[in-house]
Amino acid sequence: MADILTVKNVAKRFPPNIVALEHASLSVAPGEVHCLLGANGAGKSTLLKIVSGAFKPTSGEILVHGEPIRLRSPQDGARAGISMIYQELDLVPQLTVEQNLYLGHPPARFGIIDRKKRRDGAVEALRRVGASFGPDVRVEKLSIANQQLAAIARSLTMKAKVIIMDEPSAALNERELERIFEVIRELVRQGVAIVYVSHRLNEIREIGDRVTVLRGGRTIGTFDVATTPENALVEAVIGQNRSLIERGARRAITGGVALEVKSMKGLDGLEISDFKVRWGEIVGLSGLNGSGRTTFLRSLFGAASFEGAILLDGRDFHPRHPGDAIRRGVGLAPESRKTEGLILDAAIYRNAALPSLRHRRLLSHRAMRASAEPVLKGLSTKYGDSERPVRQLSGGNQQKVVLAKWIIGGSRVLLLDEPSRGLDVGAKSDLYALVRRLADEGAAVIVASSELEELYAACDAIWVFHEGRNIQFFDPSATDRDDILKASILGVRTSTWQ
Amino acid sequence: MAVSDNPGGERLAPPDGSGVLAAALDLAVEYNFIVIFFFVAAIAATLSSNFLTFGNISNLFQQAAVVGIVAVGMTYVILTANIDLSVGSMAAFSGMLVAVLMAGGHNPWLAVASTLVVGMAGGALMGGITAFARVPSFIVTLAGLVSIRGVTYLISEGTPIGNLPKEFGSLGSTLIPILPGFDFPLMGIIFIAVCAIAGVVLRYTVFGEYVFATGGNIEAARLSGLPTRLMTMGVFAVSGLMASLGGVMLTSRLRIGQPTAAQGMELDAIAAVVLGGTSLFGGRGGVLGTFFAVMLLQVLRNIFNLLGLGSFYQMTVTGVIIVAAILLNRLIDHRMGRE
Repeated sequence: MADILTVKNVAKRFPPNIVALEHASLSVAPGEVHCLLGANGAGKSTLLKIVSGAFKPTSGEILVHGEPIRLRSPQDGARAGISMIYQELDLVPQLTVEQNLYLGHPPARFGIIDRKKRRDGAVEALRRVGASFGPDVRVEKLSIANQQLAAIARSLTMKAKVIIMDEPSAALNERELERIFEVIRELVRQGVAIVYVSHRLNEIREIGDRVTVLRGGRTIGTFDVATTPENALVEAVIGQNRSLIERGARRAITGGVALEVKSMKGLDGLEISDFKVRWGEIVGLSGLNGSGRTTFLRSLFGAASFEGAILLDGRDFHPRHPGDAIRRGVGLAPESRKTEGLILDAAIYRNAALPSLRHRRLLSHRAMRASAEPVLKGLSTKYGDSERPVRQLSGGNQQKVVLAKWIIGGSRVLLLDEPSRGLDVGAKSDLYALVRRLADEGAAVIVASSELEELYAACDAIWVFHEGRNIQFFDPSATDRDDILKASILGVRTSTWQ
Repeated sequence: MAVSDNPGGERLAPPDGSGVLAAALDLAVEYNFIVIFFFVAAIAATLSSNFLTFGNISNLFQQAAVVGIVAVGMTYVILTANIDLSVGSMAAFSGMLVAVLMAGGHNPWLAVASTLVVGMAGGALMGGITAFARVPSFIVTLAGLVSIRGVTYLISEGTPIGNLPKEFGSLGSTLIPILPGFDFPLMGIIFIAVCAIAGVVLRYTVFGEYVFATGGNIEAARLSGLPTRLMTMGVFAVSGLMASLGGVMLTSRLRIGQPTAAQGMELDAIAAVVLGGTSLFGGRGGVLGTFFAVMLLQVLRNIFNLLGLGSFYQMTVTGVIIVAAILLNRLIDHRMGRE
């Protein structure tokens, strides 16, 4: 059977001298789930954009059904049967599902939309993805998982033969992801090919048939998922044998109580009680999306309003603005570093020094650099020149700039919301090693993450959140990972001593 | 974003060894508005032998000063990704208010000072509504444009007010000899001083850094503990103050308070700011660009006058030049990988 999509030796350079992709090849057969794996900066996004027509390659060729094809725009890509589902879904929230499904290709004659045809097509596409919602719902009312389904249904209305999914799991919990997997399996049975991009090896194991690994803008190889050992894949991704995040030795926490939430009632039904973190301790927040982790951290930072009694370092703490929290030494690395954590077009050192300027009136750029650069180097941030905009850094290095902001600003309580989102294995383990070092130096750290694996490896204690409450406390060194997972998903206390 | 795919960013630094020439070229690209300005000025000088005379240069500054000062305030507003459409009306109102106060027998110094305070407060009010009620500044200042013009007519009863004290008129007419035979207008000096101060504030004060941060990403700024709403209020206060100062200077130069003065000045100011390379999306740009853009537009007007071509040609060509300059900037942004 001829491959449905073939990418041959594609390269992409950006002026003046950035090589995003050097030598990438990929070949996708009908009816397979072809995974694309690679570290941040390996060139995955660039390759996807080329394949979907959003970027023109500098050299190389793309073949659909063996025929060379030139894609000048995403519309060309769609016409060739290639549909891309971006991580930040490109649906229009204010429109209905039906309108979104046919956005850009409505069934129309002389500019008048054939509503019956559109309705029938939408119903059929939603049926194929097993959607539990109707075509008239506005997309903004849907959960992220349902929005994913709508996006997949949209690809179906375009008669896509290849659907590219860019990290669909990033915003989903395990149960939601399982549903997406079922839909993928069903589509594959119907002969659609899926290109599935993910950092997570276990997902690739579960859903993938073959996997192509990219590193440094080059295709390292294509592997059969079932027969390739995990180590070999990891090695292909990072170029050397390197363990995932390893659980360090259990540390004795000797510091006093840094932050104590006696009671807190906040937005979205948040209700927290008896939450403590000590100096030198890393406390993880686990739970499904929407379980209140983010709201809790934002409340502690003064970015969301709440009622309650909190002690910070033994004194009352009730921040009404982020400024209040910052003055007391609390820093937040927000969930979305690009839209909330950083000013992407501003210089690296100016981002890093921003919170520390509050004590000053006049500023010296030399002094700002002098305060930022040692901290950035201490966090082993890789950057050429700190005058460069932070946009040009990779995800892991951007996250380090966010951390540097609070270290320079003198924060001793660090709130990290999904700090590893979008980072590859290497960058993740770097990040957690760093967090551990900061804790060793006396910082109190609260980390929220949807990846239990990470929390389990990195934290001294884990709280499971469910529907806005902190329902159960675990000591990871004395608990099985699956017990914590069960508590997160089921939302009931599980016994840990059987 | 493709650029962020680059691991670590190590490869971003330009290759070494290309030396001083490359650095100079980079600088010329970054400050292309200065290059364009001198290019146009050179053309002007070849077209008319009157262009490079002391008299004409001092004339250029005299005429550019009012809109220039207003554009400096606008630069602050646009750097925070806002817009201030009320500056023309605010300038007219202030020019009228200062005249009314002096006609009422107040001391000129006191009249000017209180007018500036009123202008600044008016700007702060609009900025406050924008920031605290979360109404787009386009709407708030559009309302300001209409209302403030209305108030201007009300306080003047629709008629110009003349007969202003002589010492007040000297603000707009004083010439200061800076070289033998070169008398430079006081208004031009004020304009240059305002630019210098505004530039230093942007670069060397925390207020300035916060202006860039607020415009660059208001949510990230807020979560870094910046008083973003006060910042929005602050830049509108600056814009109100500048518009007010511009209006006072205009009245002084004309020696008469005109309720119809400064119509459409907001558009001239916005055009200058954008032409000077400040991004309408905020966070990028500066006063130096605005200064040269104001002077560039003035030089264009000047050329047409010297050549005896009417204002119809002037308007047409000015629009074309603005678009061309902005296309050039887009191109440069693209080549530097900023998209």
